[in-house]
Amino acid sequence: MSHAETSYVELAVTTNFSFLRGASHPGDFVVRAQELDYPGIGIADRNSLAGVVRAYAVWKTLEEDKRPRLLIGTRLVFRDGTPDILAYPKNRKAYGRLSRLISIGKLRTEKGECLLDFTDLLEHRRGLLLIVMPTDLETATPILAQLGADTWLAASMLYTGEDRRRLRDLKHLSRQARVPLIAVNDVLYHRPDQRELQDVLTCIREHVTLKEAGKRLEANAERHLKPARDMARLFRACPEAVAETLRFCERISFTLAELGQRYPREPVARGKTADQHLRDLAEAGLKWRYPHGVPPKIAAIAEKELRFIAAGKIAHYFLTVHDIVLFARSQGILCQGRGSAANSVVCYALGVTSVDPTEIDVLFERFLNTERREPPDIDVDFEHERREEVIQYVYRRYGTRRAALTATVIHYRPRSAIREVGKVFGLSEDITGKLADTVWGHHGDELQEQQVRQGEADPENAAIMRAVDFANRLMGFPRHLSQHVGGFVLARYKLDWTVPIGPAAMKDRWFIEWDKDDLDTLAIMKVDVLALGMLTCIRKAFDLIHAAGPDGMPKLTLATVPQNDARVYDMLCNADAIGVFQVESRAQMNMLPRLKPRTMYDLTVEVAIVRPGPIQGGMVHPYLKRRANPKLISFPAPHPDHGPADELYTVLEKTMGVPLFQEQAMRLAIVAAQFSAEEANGLRRAMATFRNVGTIGSFREKFVGRMTARGYDPVFAENCFEQIKGFGSYGFPESHAASFALLVYVSAWIKRHHPTAFAAALLNSQPMGFYAPAEIVRCAREHGVPVLGPDAAFSDWDSRLERNAGGELALRLGFRQLDGFREDDARTIMAERGYGYRDFTDFTRRTALSHRALVTLAEADAFRGFGLDRREGLWAVRRLPDDIPLPLFAPRNAPEQGPETIAPLPAMPLSEHVLADYQTTRLSLKGYPTQFLRAGFAAEGITACADVGKLRDGAAVRCAGVVLVRQRPGEGTAIFITLSDETGVCNVVVWERTFARFRKEVMGARLLLAKGKVQKSPEGVIHLMAETLIDRSADLQLLSGETLPRPSPAHRHPRDVRVLPPSRDFH
Amino acid sequence: MVQPLTIVAADERADAKLLDGIADWCDRFTPLVSLDVPDGLLLDVTGAAHLFGGEAAMLSLVIRRIGEQGFAVQGAIAGTSLAARALARYAPRSIVPPGGEAQVIAPLPITALDCEDNILRALRHAGLKTLGMVAERLASELAERLGRGFVTRLRVMLGESEQPLTPRRPLPDLMAEQRFAEPIVSQDAIAASLLSLAGSLSGVLEREGRGVRVLEAAFFRADGKVDRIAIRAGEPLHDPAVILRLLRQKLDALIDPLDAGFGFDVVRLEALLAEETNPATISFDANENARRQIAFLVDRLSVRFGEHRVQRFVPQDTHIPEAAAAAVPAQDRDFAGDWPLHRRAGFLKGGPPRRPLRLLERPEEIDVPVSDVPEGAPRRFRWRRARFDVTRAEGPERIAMEWWKHAGLTRDYFRVETREGQRFWLFRDGLDHGLAPRWYMQGVFA
Repeated sequence: MSHAETSYVELAVTTNFSFLRGASHPGDFVVRAQELDYPGIGIADRNSLAGVVRAYAVWKTLEEDKRPRLLIGTRLVFRDGTPDILAYPKNRKAYGRLSRLISIGKLRTEKGECLLDFTDLLEHRRGLLLIVMPTDLETATPILAQLGADTWLAASMLYTGEDRRRLRDLKHLSRQARVPLIAVNDVLYHRPDQRELQDVLTCIREHVTLKEAGKRLEANAERHLKPARDMARLFRACPEAVAETLRFCERISFTLAELGQRYPREPVARGKTADQHLRDLAEAGLKWRYPHGVPPKIAAIAEKELRFIAAGKIAHYFLTVHDIVLFARSQGILCQGRGSAANSVVCYALGVTSVDPTEIDVLFERFLNTERREPPDIDVDFEHERREEVIQYVYRRYGTRRAALTATVIHYRPRSAIREVGKVFGLSEDITGKLADTVWGHHGDELQEQQVRQGEADPENAAIMRAVDFANRLMGFPRHLSQHVGGFVLARYKLDWTVPIGPAAMKDRWFIEWDKDDLDTLAIMKVDVLALGMLTCIRKAFDLIHAAGPDGMPKLTLATVPQNDARVYDMLCNADAIGVFQVESRAQMNMLPRLKPRTMYDLTVEVAIVRPGPIQGGMVHPYLKRRANPKLISFPAPHPDHGPADELYTVLEKTMGVPLFQEQAMRLAIVAAQFSAEEANGLRRAMATFRNVGTIGSFREKFVGRMTARGYDPVFAENCFEQIKGFGSYGFPESHAASFALLVYVSAWIKRHHPTAFAAALLNSQPMGFYAPAEIVRCAREHGVPVLGPDAAFSDWDSRLERNAGGELALRLGFRQLDGFREDDARTIMAERGYGYRDFTDFTRRTALSHRALVTLAEADAFRGFGLDRREGLWAVRRLPDDIPLPLFAPRNAPEQGPETIAPLPAMPLSEHVLADYQTTRLSLKGYPTQFLRAGFAAEGITACADVGKLRDGAAVRCAGVVLVRQRPGEGTAIFITLSDETGVCNVVVWERTFARFRKEVMGARLLLAKGKVQKSPEGVIHLMAETLIDRSADLQLLSGETLPRPSPAHRHPRDVRVLPPSRDFH
Repeated sequence: MVQPLTIVAADERADAKLLDGIADWCDRFTPLVSLDVPDGLLLDVTGAAHLFGGEAAMLSLVIRRIGEQGFAVQGAIAGTSLAARALARYAPRSIVPPGGEAQVIAPLPITALDCEDNILRALRHAGLKTLGMVAERLASELAERLGRGFVTRLRVMLGESEQPLTPRRPLPDLMAEQRFAEPIVSQDAIAASLLSLAGSLSGVLEREGRGVRVLEAAFFRADGKVDRIAIRAGEPLHDPAVILRLLRQKLDALIDPLDAGFGFDVVRLEALLAEETNPATISFDANENARRQIAFLVDRLSVRFGEHRVQRFVPQDTHIPEAAAAAVPAQDRDFAGDWPLHRRAGFLKGGPPRRPLRLLERPEEIDVPVSDVPEGAPRRFRWRRARFDVTRAEGPERIAMEWWKHAGLTRDYFRVETREGQRFWLFRDGLDHGLAPRWYMQGVFA
């Protein structure tokens, strides 16, 4: 061994996947080990293999001849007093046993822990190299005796003051037990300066502040990766222990590359191969899709795809997806596939997707051409309310031990980080709460001083700034594992042979320790059974249209909605898109009039263009310009010496010479920057980890350098790389955009032609989409849909269509719009209704609803059908006797209250009605809160939302309204706020710099006053460019008509807490 | 930015006690004072007003006198307690002639009813915002919806019926008091009085199985001055002899001796804090008896020298050696904690102690000419002008400073033995980077 004297391998490594113990990412250890010239590095988290793939992914990006060997292990922690034991599998079989051992421990409890006994290890011991981490002689001695061969005794020199004597005793023990001594530093972080963070983690784990933590913390900062020469010096009394680490390393042959998936075999008729079966299904499917004959072009593509599938041995995967989709269809569950393999003729034939390949270029073909040898990717979206049925089916079909959900690693985000770190520094929950509230949503990168100031915390306060600093350092750390919503991993045999599995929240459900990136790294196939609210909405709309339409009309399907309807595209070009899938966001609605989509492919572009990738790459404007003026279309080209001028033509043809999709960016790397297949793979993998690993620089150099060297415009090269970075944080490939484009079209079609059904379906599918019910209803009314309030006499649980007095199709709001009203009660009302209720008394006696339910109805003003307004309804409900808990005394037999004649109650002012409507249903059909403030607003010179557009471009304006939605698209530098008042909406744009000053107002206000300038684009898009923002939420209190002191918060009725519902935030 | 707000946790017990005290004081206006917790008092002034010059004069007087003591006061007089109560809060200084309540009350907001939130909510939802609007509704209408109790309350409020005041609950009897027709002056008489009071108090305590931890003796001088002397005990006391002895020691230790002047006409002994105690049997456990005796010694010393002068050490949870112990008042039992045995767990069980029993007041710098081994102990050093040659050493024990408190260097501690057989605990301040580091002596092993 060349490293002989001064070489060392660290085997006791605890990463941050030993949650709240390790203080560095797995990859950090690998990179540091390389810097220290280690020949190898082991990763051994506590009863877990969750972090090893992360280490492996980083390891793969390192240069082949310089990187250390990566050893995969686990630190086994026992519940029976056995000292910790590091277990490293020698080979694949031993790895399987280790994985199963961990699974056994995890399946013993439902709390995400892993309970192991020493006897469990003995049963699975074969092939495992074990390092005992002794705590004392009494427990270590018998264990060494029982473990037999392939066992080591760990010795550490952690500056405890008596390391040398301890080492002497260990040497003695090792000689007696005939077990070699092996050096470890039992590391918790890769560099000593992570110690402070490790202390903070310890405090979070132990629920103490730093001041209280005392000896729960480590005494010093020694538990980091140390240079081999330091280890040699520390172990100078026992050099053989250091040398032993190399010998240990050499005993291991296992690497994660051996883990290839064993995909289940789908049932195929006897004598047929899977490929043949798939071919038969595809051919039958094509006949079904093209009853008048399959176009030759399509048949040719199908043939090509089938051959590729056969060559890749992935027919079984397609059969699985087909089977799941078939099940969903048999249950009437709407579904739609997406992903690289989904946009294929085969998938269209199998019914996995409804994107007609004659309408849009299939992408699988391009997928075939790439050098990537990776698993096909098909995600299937199902109606979100019925996805559970599909999941149940998958479990039934494969059995619970062969199917498990993927994990999702929950990371520390600014909010969670500042909350927990704040506690550690002894900050009150008030302060950490305020700090957390200024953070945008759950994401965001860093807490800035500005935010701290606006959180009303003093940035001069050292403890606060320190907490903020540590919160920033903690961000991105894994916090715990959770189950992915629907990513299934399937195995031919037992899954725990490949990866440890543990129980999920739901009974008889399991999830593995790896997330989707990990599976990608290891090229393990998964089937994503995802939930999509829009599919629920579309299916419900189809049902409503069918029910309201003439008899005998067939029900619509995704594939039968009429294509190429100009009126639908006209509507979209006018940015009339509230509720339409994907394009309803503010940024999308701004894009629509500029992009002016007229075809399905335009919609594909529309969906993909308002994303971090194209925005950061500066590709949006060039694309729009070329659309407006096709003369501008040109293709970036290398210097003639380096290649043909049209080398990018095929890559960028469809997008007018501008790269927009993730696939194009990757193709650019290969064609223009001449990345090898291996390099491109490395780039793709590195994209996901750009943030925490320092590999980005080398890729930038390669990418930009080579493109420039080949004569490309350096600015173009830089932009392309920025775009790739953008894709890294939120990738959006064309293959997904194409599937989504269909749903955009279908939902827009429904909105255009059946607005009443569309609004009802949207309301009945909540929560989904960008807009609250209030906006959906408002939009419907603006399109002339009559809307009727929820009413005990007429409403169902769901909103439904009803002929109003004038015979028009009207939208009757359902009880689901009422906050706190139970579905059971609604079902009772529907079941008892029969031919209708006579009056209020008849209603209460027949439905026998609880007091609580009746109060909810009265508060929502839902007794108008019985001639009682809100006040009268509540007063009447008050009179009813208390709920009778015993079913014996059926309320029908309860003594009847005599009819009563009382004086009328004081009339409720309209403003109070509107406010009460908002408090109960979050919308009002009677008016808009701002209309009652209008006089005051006018006196202040505040322009109504609808009038903002009448001002000239550049005019100074002040406009106030209820904050509907706040959006921060991707990594964009602007924040969009939609304000609304009784006249309409006003779109406010807040630049990053202004946002920094008014963060608190932007994040907290429900009624916001924006001062700034009007900006009008040639396409007619009107914006208010905000310069100053003022929180006017207090004005809403004026409407409550309440001059009485407000009750103390502690006793407040939940409904009184918020005058208006919070806005919805997206980013 | 708003001025920093001082936040103090609410102390409901103290508030109640204070209210009680004000009620005591109000006894001078009428014998019937009733508490309206948390912030009100109801005085039945029937037949008392004329003593103070009529209702208006009396109301002013009460408000002024309480106000002079630093309280914000509002008050009103009405025919029924509820009406008065509501007016005091919503229309202060009103004086309502009998039968006029309904009229005066009508414009008050419904919150003046001080009834449950759910009733207030019902009224508010019905649009009934003032008491007048509520009063106009039918009694049956209200009773069916808000309960009979509400209607009764409303009628009291409107002066249509009255509900009697609840007199204050007497304080628990943990007080003994002697009154003397002839004020006492002599120390002996005072002692005798205290003994007899201690006897009667301890009788009560023993019956209740309790002992006193905070005791106050109050000496009321004939001319109105009151001297108060408090004693604290680490253990609950009930033996009159012990109580007396502690009191005497306290009296003897007073810097200004008790000045009887013209004599005390009342001596009162009050148990301010009493606790459950074990039966007063002598334990068979010798340790337990020793512990009690030490506790008693601590009490006596504390009484004589002051609580803060008699201290004991309690362990602190920290790696920093000089912060590992803190001195607290010996009587204070809130500080608990066992001393870690500074003997090794695990491998090196039963070895010599890791740290000296006592440390130097502050580490003293020592002069170390050379320490040649990296991260090693000094070969020899100079301390307090004496030279020491190190023959054996063990270490380092590396202790990093608490980074969140103050910047400090990481220390490497060594236990060293000199040629003469002395053992010291030394440390190097800062990691060994080859520069001349500073060394300190922190303790001497016995």
